[in-house]
Amino acid sequence: MIVLNRLTKRYTKTLAVNDLSLAVPKGEIFGFIGPNGAGKTTTIKMMAGLMAPTSGSVSICGIDMAENPREAKARIGFIPDRPYLYEKLTGMEFLKFIARVYGMVPDGFKEKAQFLLDRFALADWADDLIEAYSHGMCQRLVMVAALLHDPEVIIVDEPMVGLDPVAVILVKRIFRELAEKGVTLFVSTHSLGVAQDVCHRIGIIHRGRLIATGSLDQLRERARAADADLEAVFMALTAENSNPM
Amino acid sequence: MKTVTTLLLPRLWPLKRPVASGMMKRSFRLCILGGIGAAFWIGIFGVSMRVLRYFRGIEEVGDLILAKLLSMMLITVFSLLIFSAILTCLSKLYLSKDLSLVFSLPVERHQIFIARWLESTFDSAWMVMLYTLPVLIAYGIAYDASSMYYAYLPVALVPLAAVASGIGALVVILAVMVIPANRIRTLFVFFGLFAFIAVYIAFRLLRPERLVDPEAFATVLVYLHALKSPDFPFLPSTWAYDGIHGLLAGDAAQGLFAASLSLAATGLLYCAMVITADTVYFSGLSRAQTVKERLLEPRRKPALKKSRLPGPVRAFAEKEIKTFFRDQTQWSQVFLIAALVVIYIYNFKVLPLERSPIQALYLQNLLSFLNMGLVAFVLIAVTARFAFPAVSLEKEAFWLVRACPVRIRTYLWVKFVIYFLPLLILSEILIVGTNLLLKVTPLMMGLSTVTLCLLVPGVVCLGVGLGAAFPDFNSENPAQSVTGWGGLLFMMLGAFFVGAVILLEAGPVYRFFMARVKGHALFLSDWIFAGVSLAGVLVLAGLAVWVPMRHGEKKLTEMDI
Repeated sequence: MIVLNRLTKRYTKTLAVNDLSLAVPKGEIFGFIGPNGAGKTTTIKMMAGLMAPTSGSVSICGIDMAENPREAKARIGFIPDRPYLYEKLTGMEFLKFIARVYGMVPDGFKEKAQFLLDRFALADWADDLIEAYSHGMCQRLVMVAALLHDPEVIIVDEPMVGLDPVAVILVKRIFRELAEKGVTLFVSTHSLGVAQDVCHRIGIIHRGRLIATGSLDQLRERARAADADLEAVFMALTAENSNPM
Repeated sequence: MKTVTTLLLPRLWPLKRPVASGMMKRSFRLCILGGIGAAFWIGIFGVSMRVLRYFRGIEEVGDLILAKLLSMMLITVFSLLIFSAILTCLSKLYLSKDLSLVFSLPVERHQIFIARWLESTFDSAWMVMLYTLPVLIAYGIAYDASSMYYAYLPVALVPLAAVASGIGALVVILAVMVIPANRIRTLFVFFGLFAFIAVYIAFRLLRPERLVDPEAFATVLVYLHALKSPDFPFLPSTWAYDGIHGLLAGDAAQGLFAASLSLAATGLLYCAMVITADTVYFSGLSRAQTVKERLLEPRRKPALKKSRLPGPVRAFAEKEIKTFFRDQTQWSQVFLIAALVVIYIYNFKVLPLERSPIQALYLQNLLSFLNMGLVAFVLIAVTARFAFPAVSLEKEAFWLVRACPVRIRTYLWVKFVIYFLPLLILSEILIVGTNLLLKVTPLMMGLSTVTLCLLVPGVVCLGVGLGAAFPDFNSENPAQSVTGWGGLLFMMLGAFFVGAVILLEAGPVYRFFMARVKGHALFLSDWIFAGVSLAGVLVLAGLAVWVPMRHGEKKLTEMDI
């Protein structure tokens, strides 16, 4: 579903992502964790088609992002960490705009939008201007927009920022349900608890390089820390890779 | 095209929403702004009619001069449109906040590009077009043009704007291939200012006023030749001119041909834009997301050495000075002001006072007095650019100001001091420099410098205070906060303040001057009049300092953030 092949991004002086290769199969929730400045957001931007890699490629459902970005993006639901929303539109107008861009038929859109707005507890505010929304409401609206067109792949950057505990539980449940239906989720997060709770597999990025991937057990084994939680594993692996050999 | 229209919907949908109950205040402000805009429009129309009727009355050369003026106006409009389009396209294509959303959607890159180009065309052109129309309508009336002429105006102007915007978009997209977009705005502003100053100086050196003075030319033939010389045939402004001029003369075929050329050029540019957008737009956008780099490394030393200021005041003052000088967009503005000073003083140097029929001493002192007002208006303009947006420049970091243990009053006075000193120096340079060139009396020199010392604190307080009362912390460009209602209020109150001070001083100055010219002593009534006027000036200056600062402090303190 998602294949990153030797993905590299170099800014003028910094190597933000270094030769990153990864495959995430259908129906998997992949957690992408790493310290600040490790290259998570840059990787996500390249996956979502917001930034061109210096070298390497991104493939979504077998479609190369560089060669056919329109087709690749049509299969993605993208949830950024700091989403931009048109503040002078209402929540429903924003969804209508997204639906039109994705070529959804008006009748199908209304039912789907209403269902998702109910699910994310936004139905009562659907006709209010977005400028009146709280940060958490904006985040939930972006999730609704990302799910509206039934994407095959969901790319999420920091999904739980600004959400209250009820919404966090809801989002985790929705992620699991989507994965069961065969949707692939790529979740970049600082919250190790979220990664531990919902992700089938976790990748740790550090200084632009993917230093470890696997299930929690595999990562424990790699860190030689049996029974440790993800936090301890993360600390051990990043510390190991911080020291020059 | 359907996708392009869809991409424009977030801009269009809010327009059709009915006016909400809380929007009455905003509507009132819009009405006032609209009224002022309409007054300008009518003023331009009136002046144009007067000029056109005057020149039409001059036999033989009147029509030639009007044709030349029309051509010059269209070239100027076209240049303005290109410059405006470059800045607008840069923002729309590379720096807008919604680009990450739009680029994550399944649309072609050229569709995004074309949607943004359409937006840029409208945004960069509507005001220029609006204020070009009264001149063109005046032409139509002066030449008794048929209704076809008026119907033709949009056909001539819309492609002109589209071509200018297309050129602007292509310039931007190609420039971003070389320089990252987040740096290029500064460079474009620099280039624009250089171009503006170069054109202005060239214009001044050409002395266009000679165009209406045939005696200044060696022979009539040279003069006529200068008027009849054709414009460059490949310029879109020339096609617009040909069409409009043709329709004025009732030649519809010429209009049709010119319109066809303009439309063909627009179509050609459209194709060029689609190809360029698909090829290089995305790579330029990727480059725009890289880390910002600076032209010069910032100074690490403290901005205020060994200051006795209290800690928080010093902290804010240092922050203000450092952020100002590290913001590269401010440099171009400082450069513009330097150029403005040179041009301003140069204009006084070329005044032909010795050839005036009016007594030189009287004229010099009259000009010096009027010059106080002019310098004060320059001061208002510069304050509007720098001091008014000072609070808005905090942007989303304003929470820090509210959260820290410093009173808003102190914070605003720090802002005042930072802008007061440079603006006082600027104003005094302008007034002293021009007075020296005018060779005014010591009385006028003293009066001018003291008056400016009284005006500057008031104008700066008006700027800082009203800027605090009407802040815009969400704008991508806080300098634009002055284009809103608060900015308009500042301009109006500033003009009123300056006008009132000048008027209060005019009476006593006239009496002092006439007493000197006629060689008699001043009467007691003259001294009383002068005393009352001076008291009035001091009261006004005091109010201009106190009232806006208190108002700004109150509004900013009450504001929910």
